Amino acid sequence: MSNSSTIEVQNADITRELSAGFPDISFVPQATVDDVPTLWVPEERLKDVLRFLKEETKAPYRTLYDLTAIDERTRAHREGQPDSDFTVVYHLLSYDRNSDVRLKVALKGDEPSMPTVTGIWPNANWYEREVWDMFGVRFQGHPDHRRILMPPTWEGHPLRKDHPARGTEMGPYTLPPEKQDAEQEALKVHPELWGFERDEGDEDFLFLNLGPQHPGTHGPFRIILKLRGEEIVQAVPDIGYHHRGQEKMAERQSWHTYLPYTDRVDYLSGVANELSYLMSLERLAGIQVPPRAQVIRVMMTELFRLSSHLVWYGTFGGDIGQLSPVFYMFTDRERILEIVEAICGARMHPVWFRIGGVAQDLPDGWDRMIRFIVDYLPPRLDEYDRMVMGNAIVKARTVGVGQFSLGEAMEWGASGPNIRACGLEWDFRKKRPYSGYEQFEFDIPTAVGGDCYARAQVHVEEMRQSIRIIKQCLDNMPSGDYTSRHRLATPPIKDTNTMHDIETLIHHFLNVSYGPPVPPGECQLITEGSKGAYSYYCVSDGNTMSYRTRLRTPSFAHLQMLPLLSKGILISDLLAILGAIDFVLSDVDR
Amino acid sequence: MRQRPDYPRQAASGLQLGGSLEEQVRQNVVLARLQDLLAWGRKNSMWPFNFGLSCCYVEMATALTSKWDIARFGAEVIRATPREADVLVVAGTVFKKMAPIVQRLYDQMMEPRWVISMGSCANSGGMFDIYSVVQGVDKFLPVDVYVQGCPPRPDSLMEGILLLRDMVGDEKRPLTWVVGPQGVLRGPVQSQRDLKTPERMRTTLLRPTNEISYAPLGINGNGEAQTTGR
Repeated sequence: MSNSSTIEVQNADITRELSAGFPDISFVPQATVDDVPTLWVPEERLKDVLRFLKEETKAPYRTLYDLTAIDERTRAHREGQPDSDFTVVYHLLSYDRNSDVRLKVALKGDEPSMPTVTGIWPNANWYEREVWDMFGVRFQGHPDHRRILMPPTWEGHPLRKDHPARGTEMGPYTLPPEKQDAEQEALKVHPELWGFERDEGDEDFLFLNLGPQHPGTHGPFRIILKLRGEEIVQAVPDIGYHHRGQEKMAERQSWHTYLPYTDRVDYLSGVANELSYLMSLERLAGIQVPPRAQVIRVMMTELFRLSSHLVWYGTFGGDIGQLSPVFYMFTDRERILEIVEAICGARMHPVWFRIGGVAQDLPDGWDRMIRFIVDYLPPRLDEYDRMVMGNAIVKARTVGVGQFSLGEAMEWGASGPNIRACGLEWDFRKKRPYSGYEQFEFDIPTAVGGDCYARAQVHVEEMRQSIRIIKQCLDNMPSGDYTSRHRLATPPIKDTNTMHDIETLIHHFLNVSYGPPVPPGECQLITEGSKGAYSYYCVSDGNTMSYRTRLRTPSFAHLQMLPLLSKGILISDLLAILGAIDFVLSDVDR
Repeated sequence: MRQRPDYPRQAASGLQLGGSLEEQVRQNVVLARLQDLLAWGRKNSMWPFNFGLSCCYVEMATALTSKWDIARFGAEVIRATPREADVLVVAGTVFKKMAPIVQRLYDQMMEPRWVISMGSCANSGGMFDIYSVVQGVDKFLPVDVYVQGCPPRPDSLMEGILLLRDMVGDEKRPLTWVVGPQGVLRGPVQSQRDLKTPERMRTTLLRPTNEISYAPLGINGNGEAQTTGR
């Protein structure tokens, strides 16, 4: 494809450009399976390099897509990489080039520290707090250096290799009254410690605690509001109430048995998570997925996009006071889930994709069900347009509310419908096609204004595009295998001699019980989930389990924008913004 | 379900007019012990707290919507404040950071109050045997009914509500001083597994994986969609 070859040229360009721009730095390149140019940068020059990439280079890398770390202390395969105990990884994205660059910084010792980059990208704030919380890497000069996911009373840094993984390793959990009191005390808000700006003058403010249990927050999420009357002066979100340790879990499950966990990351999108994980993993393992499996995957993923968007549609209406939509949308979601159940055997978390393909072939009669839904939904969507999008009150509550510009969206790492609502025609399914998306005809819906109403418009139009893709899957389903015959595909296809001769039996047994050993390497491919850019940064050390799996989720980035969006608005508008932004807490805290 | 002198139920269902005087009296006059009448009232209006933790809450919310309609069992009045709720459905993973908050919400509920643990995470930690997750909400809260599944289907939750209803209807909560055992007396609880095993053992034919178990979406055997749906 012409697209990918231009990317390769650009990749070589940026390495050369950096070497020319910083002749005094010896960048250490690292080959990765995803072909993202990866360079090790000395800690003291990192900020200069980042600033150069963001501001000075032509077609700049304006988005800090991800910031994370790796505990390297027990890693065996680090050929050619500089010596490091903790590596901090910066993943930058350029929309102009349609290309990424990854910078790595090596840190030594048990209490590593390095300068913050919050001065360059505001969204580094939460990511650095997460790295501090999970790895114990300090960021000098960080404006709000607190834990973010774990409770303030927590001891240790969970993603360090010496921290226990299992809950059952840590002794039985108890909650005696004195502990309850201490935990409640730790949850109290102290404005000066929680990043609230200092008050000027003698004005009195009201502090309002919204959440972690509140019907408008869509799950355990807390936001503390500093109010002047009903107007929000400042909002400080507090997350981590939904942290399920998904990244640590990946280091304990085999590559194969981690699949069920991915379903529960964005729990409304089911197999879309599996697809994202498998895209990185299969590239790492060098597995080619057969065409039929690819199309089945696309079809199921789009069904889940529809289902997730329908939940969003209904609850969005509910959040701004419209109580009927949720009953319509959930009924239609049921019709989709019935198909999902008929094909996969489960509703929300089907765990139906496998390394190399899908779990089994489509059942007889699948086409009738799909045809029903693609015929049934479009007129329903038209009706919902009249009910929700055309409603004068909905418009009054959302037009011009929660606006952000395209520049801000890039600066804060927004993706998915939220960035498309700012007018950017950007969809990873089109820009960096995966799983055969390049063969489908569909449009990238955009909207103007970047407000809550624009986000809603993009969501609604995306549903129509999903139906279009599903229709194409229905009409052009290829024949052939439903899973790959690669030796690492798990479980192996059983149509030949499996279970009848000892070789295939052993192969099957090892892949399923121990899991497939994935060659050492690193890979992160970005996919377009229902809420934005999902990606799994899979680091393999050549074992049957991951050495490190980083989950980059869109909701984390979007929620971090809340303080920006809620300055000077009314509380009721905040709930409209929460409704329109489309997040789930499991996708934020993982 | 255990039957007891069930005048209140008759009164609630029998609103036909006509018949003899005796019949009229029987349909309109309730004779019961106050304690039983209260238990009857409680069991038929379980108000859940609008509280969700993770994925299970989506299925709990689905149970409220048209297809499943939990209102059939008097449990659709979800309350936004714990002070007005009767039953806490712990729908989802109980995180260590969240546990003190769950405890506080429970403390704010008025007696009598009940707890349904919904889904594997709340039952036992489920697949999330991980540092940040409490391995079952019963580590710090008394649980009345466990609903299995990951997440449980809406109908499983509704079965849980029905089990709790029966349990609540059978409870004896003395309204005044009594002689003998003190406190709340509960009817016997039987394991659902034991009750259902005979029926499950009767299943001998398993459907092949290439067949669909039921006709979804109201599609009939000829592959024609019925416009009414289900």
